[in-house]
Amino acid sequence: MRDDDHDHPVGDGADPNGEPIIEARNITKSFGGAVAVDGVGLAVGAGEIHGLVGENGAGKSTLMRVLAGIVTPDHGVVSIDGVDLDAGNTRAALDAGIALVHQELSLVPEMTVAENILLGSTPTTSGFIKVSEQRRIAAEALNEIGVSVDLDEPIVRLSVALRQFVEIARAVARKPRVLILDEPTATLTPAETDYLLDMLQRLADRGLAIIYISHRIPEIFRICHRVTVLRDGKLVDNIAIADTTPDAVVDQMVGRELKIEEGQRREALPGSVVLSAEGIEAHRVNGIDLQVRAGEIVGLGGLVGAGRTELVRSIIGADIRSAGDVTITTDKGEARVRTYRSAVNNGLAYVPEERRTDGLALTMSVSDNVALPNRSELSRAGILSRSKIARRAQELAEVVGLRPPQVQREAGEYSGGNQQKIVLAKWLGRKPAVIVLDEPTRGVDVGAKAEIHRLIKELADNGTAVLVVSSDLPELLELSDLIHVVRDGRIAGTLDGSVADEKSVMSLASGEATVSGNGDPDDLVGSAQ
Amino acid sequence: MTAALELGSGESGDNLLARVRTVLGRRTEGRAVALLAVVAVVTAFLEPVVFTSYPVTLGRIALIGLVALGLTAVILMGELDLSVASTLAVSGVVMASIESLPLGIVAALLVGLMIGAANAFFVVAVGINSFIATLGMLFFLRGSAFVLSNEEPVRLANRDAGIAFGKPFLGPLTPRMLLFIGAFIALQVFVTRVRVGREFYAVGGNREAAYDAGIPVTRRIVTGFMISGFVAAMAGVINTLERTAADPTAGSTVLLASFAAAIVGGVLLTGGRGSIFGTLLGATSLGILQVALTLSGVQVDVQNIVIGLVLLLAVITDPNSVRGVVGSVRSLLQGRSRA
Ligand SMILES: Nc1ncnc2c1ncn2[C@@H]1O[C@H](COP(=O)(O)OP(=O)(O)OP(=O)(O)O)[C@@H](O)[C@H]1O
Ligand SMILES: [Mg+2]
Repeated sequence: MRDDDHDHPVGDGADPNGEPIIEARNITKSFGGAVAVDGVGLAVGAGEIHGLVGENGAGKSTLMRVLAGIVTPDHGVVSIDGVDLDAGNTRAALDAGIALVHQELSLVPEMTVAENILLGSTPTTSGFIKVSEQRRIAAEALNEIGVSVDLDEPIVRLSVALRQFVEIARAVARKPRVLILDEPTATLTPAETDYLLDMLQRLADRGLAIIYISHRIPEIFRICHRVTVLRDGKLVDNIAIADTTPDAVVDQMVGRELKIEEGQRREALPGSVVLSAEGIEAHRVNGIDLQVRAGEIVGLGGLVGAGRTELVRSIIGADIRSAGDVTITTDKGEARVRTYRSAVNNGLAYVPEERRTDGLALTMSVSDNVALPNRSELSRAGILSRSKIARRAQELAEVVGLRPPQVQREAGEYSGGNQQKIVLAKWLGRKPAVIVLDEPTRGVDVGAKAEIHRLIKELADNGTAVLVVSSDLPELLELSDLIHVVRDGRIAGTLDGSVADEKSVMSLASGEATVSGNGDPDDLVGSAQ
Repeated sequence: MTAALELGSGESGDNLLARVRTVLGRRTEGRAVALLAVVAVVTAFLEPVVFTSYPVTLGRIALIGLVALGLTAVILMGELDLSVASTLAVSGVVMASIESLPLGIVAALLVGLMIGAANAFFVVAVGINSFIATLGMLFFLRGSAFVLSNEEPVRLANRDAGIAFGKPFLGPLTPRMLLFIGAFIALQVFVTRVRVGREFYAVGGNREAAYDAGIPVTRRIVTGFMISGFVAAMAGVINTLERTAADPTAGSTVLLASFAAAIVGGVLLTGGRGSIFGTLLGATSLGILQVALTLSGVQVDVQNIVIGLVLLLAVITDPNSVRGVVGSVRSLLQGRSRA
C-alpha cells in the first residue's frame, strides 16, 4: 500500500478562487484488502458545484461517506474552514454543516415526512419534541425546494420520486454549508431532473458548496463548475468544466477511449406474440392491453408514478390484479399465467426496480444470487453443483461488466451500480422467453450502460420478447421497437420506436397531447392494438 | 418547475371522508380493535362474569399489559426481550426477601434495570442476537428465582401493606390499575412526544438511516432494554404486593400473552411500526380472553394453545405478510388444478 505523502498527478484539488469551505486531503479507505479510495483529495468553495464522476465501484460513494463521517478513513483528514474534523464522527460532520443525500434512500418508512426531514436533529424542549417547530422547519425546507407533500404522510405511502425530494429537503433543512448529492437524479424523470438541477444552482448562488455525483455526463456539464474524475479509487483529474469536454471526461473515467455508438437502433424482425395481456386492472392500473412479440422490444414510457411499475408487476403476477388475462406462448404451448411463479415457470424473467429489496439477497455471494433462478440447470441430481455455479457466475459477471468480477464476494459489498449488474446477470443466464426490465440501467455507469443495452438488443435478436420500463428517454428511444406511453394507469398513446422522439414521448406522458391530439401526426401510430 | 410540484402522493384527498380514510389508513391498531370486539362480544354472552367481576379482569389486563408495554419499547427497535417474565419473578423474589418494604421495592426495580442493562450489553457490546441473549437470560433468571427462594413462595414481611395495595383506591381502581395506567400514559407520551422515544422507531425502521442521521443507536437500544427490564420489575413488585408473597413460578403465562398483546396490537416484529395504544388494546383483549378461559375452567395448557393461536393469527394477518400468504395460497391452488 502507498504511504501518506505521495503526490497526485493533478495537484490536491484546491479551488483557485478563494478559500475552500470543505477540504479532504489524502483520503484512503480499503475494505478487507481492496482499496476503495486511494489517497484522494478534494476541495470545494462557497457557491461552487463540484461534479464527481467515475465508473461503478470507482469509490465515489465511499469518498462521500468519509466526508459525512459515516466511514472512518484509514488515512487522511477532512476539514471545514481549515478546521480538521474528528474522523468517522457523523455528529461532528453534521454539526460542521455537511449534509449527504445518500445514493440509496435512507428514510424511515413508518415515520412521517416531517419527522424524517428532522431525523437526528429534532427540535426539543427538555426532551419533548417541539411539534409545531418540527412542522415549521419541515414545511420551510420543502418550500425551499418547491415541493408540496402532506407533512403527516408516512414515507411508505409516498412514490419513489417524492421520497427522493423528501430526502433532499432533509439535507436542506439542516442549513448545511456543504451539500453532497449521490446520484439524486437516478430515480427522477427528465422534468424532475431539470427542476432539481435548477434548484441546485439556486442553492449554490446562495453560497452553498455542492458536491454532485451522477453518471449522466450532460448534467455535470450543465451545472458544475469543476469536475473530479475517479478511477479505481484514484484521482485521475480535477479540472474546470470550461477546460474539458464530455468525451474527455468519459475517457478519463474508463481509462481508455470509449466509443459509445449512441442511439444505434437495430432492425427488428418480430415473430409471433409471446406475452399477451388483456384488460389488466389493478391498483393504479386502469385497464391496459398490450402484447410483446418474439424478438421485439416494447418500451413503457411515462413519468415516474404513472403506474408503469404497477402495470408490469400486475402483468407478471407479482402484484394482485383485479381483472385481466395474461398468457405466455412459447414452443411448449400457450399458458395462462396468474401468479409470478407460474409466469417464471413459463419462461419469464423479471428485473425489478427496487434492486436492494426485491432483486438481491444482499448477504449472499454474487454467485449464489446468480444461481437462484437457475437452480435446476445448475444442479446435478437435485444437488447444486458448486463448481458449475461458480463457473457460470464468473461468465455472467464478465458479460455484465461486474467490477471487480469476484463472484464469491457478498452482493451487499458491491457499489450501487454493480448491484444492478448482478440482478441483470441473474436473469440473463436463463435465456428467457420473455424478459421484463424495470429501469434496467438506473445508477449504471456509461460504459456498462452501453454494454447492457447491447445485451438487451442481443436477447431480442435471439428471439426473446422484451418489455422495458424506462424513464431515461434516450434509452427508451434507442431500445424500443414500439413505445407505449403510460399516464394515470392508462396507455396514453403508442409510438413507433423508429420515428418517436423525446418531444413526442414527453407530450404524451405529461398529457399535453393525445393520440388524436396536436402532436406531429407522423409520430403517432394509433393506440395499442 | 411545475413537474416537481405535481408530485402528489395520490392517496390523500380534500373532503372530510377522504381525510378520515387517510388518517385511518395510517393507523396500525386495526387488528387489535377487531380482536377486542370479537373477544368482548363473545365473552359477554358466554361468560358475563368476566365483566361483573371486573377487578379480577382488570388486574389480569394490568399484569399482561405492563409487561407488554415494556416489551413494545424493545420490539419497536427490531429487538426482542424474552426475559421479561423471568424478570418479573426474580424481582418479586428479591423484593420479598428484603425485610423493609420500601427497600425491597427499590431493590426489585434496580434488579429490573440491571437485567435490562445486561441484556443490552450482550446485544450491543458483545453483538449477540437479542433473541439468543434474552433467551439465555430467561433461563438464567428463572433458575435464579428458584435458587433465591429455595423453590417455594417467599412470604412478604409486611402483609398488611400488600392487602392495602389490593384495595380500591380511586373509585373502583386499585393502585395496581393506577400504576398500569400511569405507565401506559408515560410510555405513550415517551414514544410519541419525547425525542428519545420517537427515535426508537427510526432505530427499528431503518437502522442504517438512524446511524447516518447521527442518532446514537446504541444508547437508544440500551434505553429500550432498561425500560423493558424496569417495567417488568414493576409488574413483579405489584404482583408480589397483591399476593403478599413472591412465587418463583410467577409470570409463567405472561410471556406468551404479553408477546401476543404487542403483536396483535400492531407492533411489527422486525421493528419500526406499532403503537403503545395498540399494545394496550391487545393486552385488554388477551386479558379478557385469559380470564374468560380460566373462569370457564379451561386448563392453563389449553389456554396457552388458544393464546398461541391468537399470536399466530396476528402474525399472519399482518398486512406485510398477507400479500405473501395470498400469493402462496393462490399458487398452491393453481398448482393443484394444473396437476
Ligand atoms: N461496506 C463495504 N464492504 C466491502 N467493500 C465495499 C463496501 N463499500 C464499498 N465497497 C467497495 O468499494 C468500492 C467502491 O465502492 P463505492 O460504493 O464507493 O463505488 P461508487 O463509485 O459509488 O459506485 P456506483 O457508481 O456504482 O455507486 C467497490 O469496489 C465496493 O465493492
Ligand atoms: Mg455510489
